[in-house]
Amino acid sequence: MAKLNAETVKALALELFDYEFSDEAAGSVAHIVGAMANYSRRLHGIGLAGVQPPFGYPTLCAEAARLRRIV
Amino acid sequence: MSNHAEILNFDVAALAEKIRAKDLSPVEITEAYLERIDAHQGRLLAYITVTADDARDAARKAEAEIMAGNWRGPFHGIPIALKDLCNTRGVLTTGGSKILGDFVPNFDCTVWARLREAGAILLGKLNLHEFASGATNTNPHWGTCRNPHDLERIPGGSSGGSAAAIVAKMAAATIGTDTGGSIRIPAAFCGCVGMKQTWGRVSRFGVMPLADSLDHAGPITRTVRDAALMLEVIAGHDPHDSTSSNDPVPDYAQALTGDMKGVRVGFIKELITGLSDEVAHSFNGALRQMRILGADVDEVAVPHIETASIIATSIMLAEAAEYHEQWMRTRAHDYGADVRRMLEAGMMTPAIYYVRAQRSRAAILAETLKALDHFTVLAAPTAAIPAPRIDVGGRALSDNGHQIDMVASVLRFTAPFNVTGQPALAIPTGLAPNGLPLSMQIIGKPFDEATVFRVADAYERARGPLAEPKL
Repeated sequence: MAKLNAETVKALALELFDYEFSDEAAGSVAHIVGAMANYSRRLHGIGLAGVQPPFGYPTLCAEAARLRRIV
Repeated sequence: MSNHAEILNFDVAALAEKIRAKDLSPVEITEAYLERIDAHQGRLLAYITVTADDARDAARKAEAEIMAGNWRGPFHGIPIALKDLCNTRGVLTTGGSKILGDFVPNFDCTVWARLREAGAILLGKLNLHEFASGATNTNPHWGTCRNPHDLERIPGGSSGGSAAAIVAKMAAATIGTDTGGSIRIPAAFCGCVGMKQTWGRVSRFGVMPLADSLDHAGPITRTVRDAALMLEVIAGHDPHDSTSSNDPVPDYAQALTGDMKGVRVGFIKELITGLSDEVAHSFNGALRQMRILGADVDEVAVPHIETASIIATSIMLAEAAEYHEQWMRTRAHDYGADVRRMLEAGMMTPAIYYVRAQRSRAAILAETLKALDHFTVLAAPTAAIPAPRIDVGGRALSDNGHQIDMVASVLRFTAPFNVTGQPALAIPTGLAPNGLPLSMQIIGKPFDEATVFRVADAYERARGPLAEPKL
């Protein structure tokens, strides 16, 4: 289990986003993100070696072309 | 001239025939729907905004065009409604939120632009879970939408208003959106058809995002045929959405042969556990029905499909938090408690988890495609349970009063096909002994919506009509 606690969440949110968590929210989010860390590590088990993320270059080019039309 | 009750009994396909033949006028159809909305909106809260005057104007215009011999197609003169996540020029578009509580866009989303061009008439904008960020449609800002089959139960979400309006006959067809199941879950809980087509098949331009890489806008309808007709109108490349596909859009209605011979249906082994008795019974009955129709039905494994819920959640949290960051800095108190908590979790989601989740999508799609090497379509329940109860705190409760685990009960079944982007259609399989609708999904190969429609339509014909809610 990731060792993320409410105080760490509050400090990070303030530093990164200038956002103030309540004590209760920070505790709950620490729990959620901790659980997510565990699940995320388990995804290695489905065989991700060499798998590319689905952010293709054609999409990048198409989006740039769209922006050029409207900018 | 027909009476209003008779008009409301027709699906889009039947209305279109009557409009084309000039047996029914868009004006009288629109009046029938507006009267129905007046009668039931107070209890169901399916709508956030009803555009009655504009609908009457549009109906008169459609009638004049049709009488002059200019029938545009099956949606000409058909009264529809849109989830209030769809931007509509000059019409309040709230996203179900307080933050956009007085937002009136100056542009149309492409989905509405195409339906309007096809002659559809806008009845209004439909209730939803705030910013499409939940599966109950319990909305603290615009009121809790209710399930027409039981007003004490959720309609499902996030497109709850879209499904409730179909089943309560408050619109002939509607548009919902689906990021983790938000078209299919309400379609299942309310008892209608919900089609989440292939990602990229329909433009998302002008539809407020929850998570761009998982979002879809698609039809919620009474019948499979209506969903096919509606998808044909809204599908196809859109220069405003660079992720929309250039693939040609087939004539979906032509695929509806009513024939299931030669079809191989693979029900997903990992998704038939943890079902309530009524869902298990109804799903098995649907598989039996498909065998009777001539389909070859067998079990198929998709070994890591259960990881899809966490993949979808990791992506959704991160992408949603990015979209909402500015409002979270300045207006966090204007979000409902559940949506604010979701976005707070998203703010704290490390980029590593997000990228890993994105990379995992190909592995899951590879598994479902491997399963489809041997089967024409896949099948799975849409939810493990029928519609749960609403409690006063706005949570969903089981019949024994325990809070529902929405991941285990619902997202586990629907989110995999947002992760893979495949077409997945929810279709009712019958009613539970307590009268609540039950549903299964038919899942196809990417961009093969035609086969999904073919199989679902053949099953729907054999299943016959469902009992209507007593409103």
